[in-house]
Amino acid sequence: MSTTGKKDAIPLQVKNLSKSFGDIEVLKELNLEVLPGAVHGLVGLNGSGKTTTMECILGMQTYHRGEISVLGHRPDSLYQAAGDIVSIFDSPSLHPQLTVRQTLEHACLLCEKPTRTPTQVEAMLGITQYSQYKIRHLSLGNRRRTSIAQALLGRPSFVILDEPFNGLDAGGVDELLHMISRLNRDEGTAFLLSSHQLPYLEKICSHISVLHRGKIAVSDHVSNLFNAQHSRLLVHCDDVVRACAIVQGMKGVEIEDSSYPGLLTLQLDNISPALINQKLVEKNIAVHELVREKPSLETLFQAVVATDPLPALEVEI
Amino acid sequence: MNGLKAAFRAELFVMLYSNAARLLAVLPAIAIVIRAIVVKLGENTQQARASLTGGSSFDSAASVNAWGHLVDSFSIGLTLLSLSLVAYSAWSFANDRDNGTLRHVIIRCTNRQGVVLVKLANIFLLALCALVLLAVSAGVITSILWDFGPIVEDGYELISSAEIRAEVALGLGLALIPLPAALAFGVLVSVSTQSSTQAVTTALGITLAVDIFKAVLGDYAYYIYASFQPSLIDQSYLGDVSRLVRGYSDVMIDSRMITLNEWVPFPQMIIFIVLALTIVRLRKL
Repeated sequence: MSTTGKKDAIPLQVKNLSKSFGDIEVLKELNLEVLPGAVHGLVGLNGSGKTTTMECILGMQTYHRGEISVLGHRPDSLYQAAGDIVSIFDSPSLHPQLTVRQTLEHACLLCEKPTRTPTQVEAMLGITQYSQYKIRHLSLGNRRRTSIAQALLGRPSFVILDEPFNGLDAGGVDELLHMISRLNRDEGTAFLLSSHQLPYLEKICSHISVLHRGKIAVSDHVSNLFNAQHSRLLVHCDDVVRACAIVQGMKGVEIEDSSYPGLLTLQLDNISPALINQKLVEKNIAVHELVREKPSLETLFQAVVATDPLPALEVEI
Repeated sequence: MNGLKAAFRAELFVMLYSNAARLLAVLPAIAIVIRAIVVKLGENTQQARASLTGGSSFDSAASVNAWGHLVDSFSIGLTLLSLSLVAYSAWSFANDRDNGTLRHVIIRCTNRQGVVLVKLANIFLLALCALVLLAVSAGVITSILWDFGPIVEDGYELISSAEIRAEVALGLGLALIPLPAALAFGVLVSVSTQSSTQAVTTALGITLAVDIFKAVLGDYAYYIYASFQPSLIDQSYLGDVSRLVRGYSDVMIDSRMITLNEWVPFPQMIIFIVLALTIVRLRKL
């Protein structure tokens, strides 16, 4: 198979995946697809089944029903992809007695055809100065960088990252986001990222799936997801009652909240805030401030979770 | 096959930089060298006392002969080596699972069963290195401190050097046969347990428990591979050879025992490996 062919193959298809731990059904007929060239974010609450899904995809867990195909390979034979699939785990999975350089040389032995040298990936991840440090002496952030570096020795078509931002400082997060977008753009590498860091995912992901109660509750292109959401407009004005009466008749405007004095919260659907401002001013209502809250991953996530909240923790006192 | 080769090379790479593996390779050799020096010092003291009191006996003649010391060195070295190798093999897979490095090999190189086989192959290689070091250091230190020769009493040669050499070779060979089964047992425990700490304590605990209880099992003990291994409570033929080459005993091993020694450990090793391969296929990693 040519390199182009591999990049065009569907990186991940999960169909009707079910997994139980005893009587507890963690994954219920889960369906997920990562498209070629996509940066796909997987989000969910603690205990929603993200890690179990990742582990099933990577062949670390057995599952009861369903089908998983990673670049055409079953989870128990990912090694047949010859380095086309790599994963970076939530905890940096490294041998503590090796130095950074030895870790990368070790990864070269595991990689069928390394396309980058240890020196190159050290430079890419900014860990050249730690080359001779033992892994056990590194900070969590630099361990994570080393973990990412060893994954990038080949030219993988599909990279799976579980909680990749854990332990990274702000600079490290920016570098990682930059690297993901560069690899995605220049080499067509597809990514599946599982994380709780919604703002970071929002910056980088082309697609988002929200995992809730063992199922994919929402999954689509980010722009489609955001377009489907109403944007909010906070109107700070003198007379909320009169303002309500004016906007009530306008198409694409829905009043969300008018209970606070001087503050009117509206939901907009394809209508400009400028038009609302104009209407209010025409009717002699002083508008002090207009604040538009754009749809975000966080609001989307909250909306999904709110529809079917997890049961509260039972605490025995 | 390429994946297995890559996994083997990668595992070997890690082992070369592992302090535990290095220590394991040299520890039995160092231990027997130190022991031989201490024994020699003790003998010199005894000889000085004997020459003062004018005593000289068969015992002192036997103690001057290097063969007995060589066999003792092998016996002690193998006891130490087999215990530490069982601990290492129990630790190896479980430790890689604990720190997550196992997952890289499974995703990139080979399947779960392949990882177990690669681990086992590397542990066998480590055992081989440790054995060579042990044999060389035992041979060198005993030849420096004592002289090899036949057992002679009152001018009569009780056992010739050739006979001694043949019995030492037989005793050593029989003592080595159960070692692969012991290593496979360590890997089985490693694959089955939840953490590396649990694996090491379980493997050592069971090994020592078998060692203690094999004496009360009577003839049934001969169907356990551990009965033929040099151990803390030694029932192996190497222990008998130690007495034989000193002229304290003339009882040689019978053919039934040789057959049991040769054939009992091998199927047990196969059972341990098959169980390990089955368990690793089913469990969460």
